[in-house]
Amino acid sequence: MKASLLRWSAWAPGLDSAAAWEAWAKSPVPLPTSGAPDAKFLPAMLRRRCTPLTRTMLTAAFGAAEPDELARLRTVFSSRHGSINESIGLLENVVRREKLSPATFSHTVHNAQAGLFSIAAGNRAASSSLSGQEDSWTAAWIEALCFLERDPSEPVLAVIGDVPLAEVFAPLCDEAAVPYAFAAQVAAAGRGPTISMELTSEGRAGTLPALRPAWPPAIEFLRWFLSGEESLVQANRANAVRWRRL
Amino acid sequence: MTRAPCRLAALGQVSALGRSNAQVRERLAAGDGSRLTLSERFVPERSLWLGEVHDSLPAIPAALERFACRNNQLALAALEAIAGPVQEALARFGAQRVGVVVGTSTSGVGDAEAAIAHRERTGVLAHEFHYDQLEFGGLARFVAEVTGARGPAYTLSTACSSGARALASARSLLALGLCDAVISGAADSLCGLTTNGFAALGAISANVTNPFSRNRDGLTLGEASALFLVTREPGGIQLLGVGDSSEAHHMSAPDPEGRGAETAMRGALADARLEPGEIAYLNLHGTGTPQNDAMESAAVMRVFGGELSSSSTKPLVGHTLGAAGAIEAAFCWLVLDATGPELALPPHVWDGARDPELAPIRLTGKGERAAASSSARVMTNSFGFGGNNCTLILGRSDS
Repeated sequence: MKASLLRWSAWAPGLDSAAAWEAWAKSPVPLPTSGAPDAKFLPAMLRRRCTPLTRTMLTAAFGAAEPDELARLRTVFSSRHGSINESIGLLENVVRREKLSPATFSHTVHNAQAGLFSIAAGNRAASSSLSGQEDSWTAAWIEALCFLERDPSEPVLAVIGDVPLAEVFAPLCDEAAVPYAFAAQVAAAGRGPTISMELTSEGRAGTLPALRPAWPPAIEFLRWFLSGEESLVQANRANAVRWRRL
Repeated sequence: MTRAPCRLAALGQVSALGRSNAQVRERLAAGDGSRLTLSERFVPERSLWLGEVHDSLPAIPAALERFACRNNQLALAALEAIAGPVQEALARFGAQRVGVVVGTSTSGVGDAEAAIAHRERTGVLAHEFHYDQLEFGGLARFVAEVTGARGPAYTLSTACSSGARALASARSLLALGLCDAVISGAADSLCGLTTNGFAALGAISANVTNPFSRNRDGLTLGEASALFLVTREPGGIQLLGVGDSSEAHHMSAPDPEGRGAETAMRGALADARLEPGEIAYLNLHGTGTPQNDAMESAAVMRVFGGELSSSSTKPLVGHTLGAAGAIEAAFCWLVLDATGPELALPPHVWDGARDPELAPIRLTGKGERAAASSSARVMTNSFGFGGNNCTLILGRSDS
């Protein structure tokens, strides 16, 4: 399955420009484990309602498109954990039989980042929010392909991000726990650098542990995209994905 | 360009209306509102009407214990009803060609509440709690592992439009050729988080929800799962159209003019290449909140005029949030899957008190029927928090 990757943007603590990511991709090291962008491009009223994850994902999203595109493109928001850190406080309210904050409740839906993006960018186009556990980047790419299947004339802005899980759940989850976000315009094949994505059974999770780098799969994809290497195989839970540049 | 067919080949479901398609069809056509119950279980010092599932649910297999939660049990109940067709698809196409795209807004958060309560008492999470139960992606992973499907598997979570979105993506995965069959639909379970959250928003009705009435005062929550086996075959009941939009308005309130809802309905009609007059029935989002019903009736009026037979089935099963788009597509599927010359439409169950402030859409009466032609088409609306709208059109395509 072929598609083009047009403009992209990514954010991690200390890595807030294309040049910084290109330098990192030449000699990658584990990413910092804390930090959040200030997201000064958001109006102050809106920024106050943004969690660290929302600021992180919206920073990548706004960096990957011009204002008119931000208002027009269809979007896919992918996050393994979404707003679960904010939900923990609500769950504690529930078990203590305390009243919940209605604003916090309505901002902990998994599509909170998509909803706030839509408001901030004035975007009324179709939007999807998803989680594919460890495979959330592959899932985001596939969901972007689904939007392109319906209408290939415009790119889709695919945004992925996460922040480390709060201490109560973190030990249950084996992953590179770093704050990050990556946004990319995915377009019909031939509109820019074209990539093929193929699901395979080789290198499934557990069979090739060396395939799991010390940073999130979306960032490994970005590293590969910047590296010039011909292909990348990433282990998913039930299959593997082979990316190839064409 | 003509898209490949998208057949909703088999349906399994569970909601307050029951577990078997035959039983649900009968209760749906009768407008049986007796299945909702008054419960003090969730919100302190408040009794709520709820669409709880009363059927006994299958146990999660021991090997998949890390997925053991009520949300996955609801999904398993729906899956059991389509186990045969799913296994046939796996054998015919190969496990890697069968995908899973499902929706939820709760995942296993109800069971996470128990784990957090255990931690409040003892300082540690309950031993049986696994993160696979709580994370949104866990639902798709559970469905994949329990069936053996090895294609793409992910969970959509766009609040109350999740289930509809999942079916839209299933259709695209088939059209793209990434899958030859997709298990798609949704599961959502009642829990303290959503009941207390909607109570805090002042969105829950004192009595059973009463959509489009001048006496309406909010929604009634429910739980459900509906899962389809979706294939690229012609014939049967097809997913013919998808329309979607965002609101760019507010996190928990729709645009009062219903522009996003209108875009979704018009988009689905254009996608299916249908005129408004070709739709025989509309399953409304119809939550019973003052805002939803006002904007939705206005949008329906602009798209269809006041003649289209329309009902909300939320007074029968409650608002099942992330599962609403899937269970209401299931109800549309049951309407279309009729053998006689007529389709029995689900009546709009309410107090009959028209709200003069609302656009005068036509609400389906008890016993109302539509012609069961080979080209019968029905529509279902789902509008979610965060301003995410998705409309589907289903139709018969007797080949």
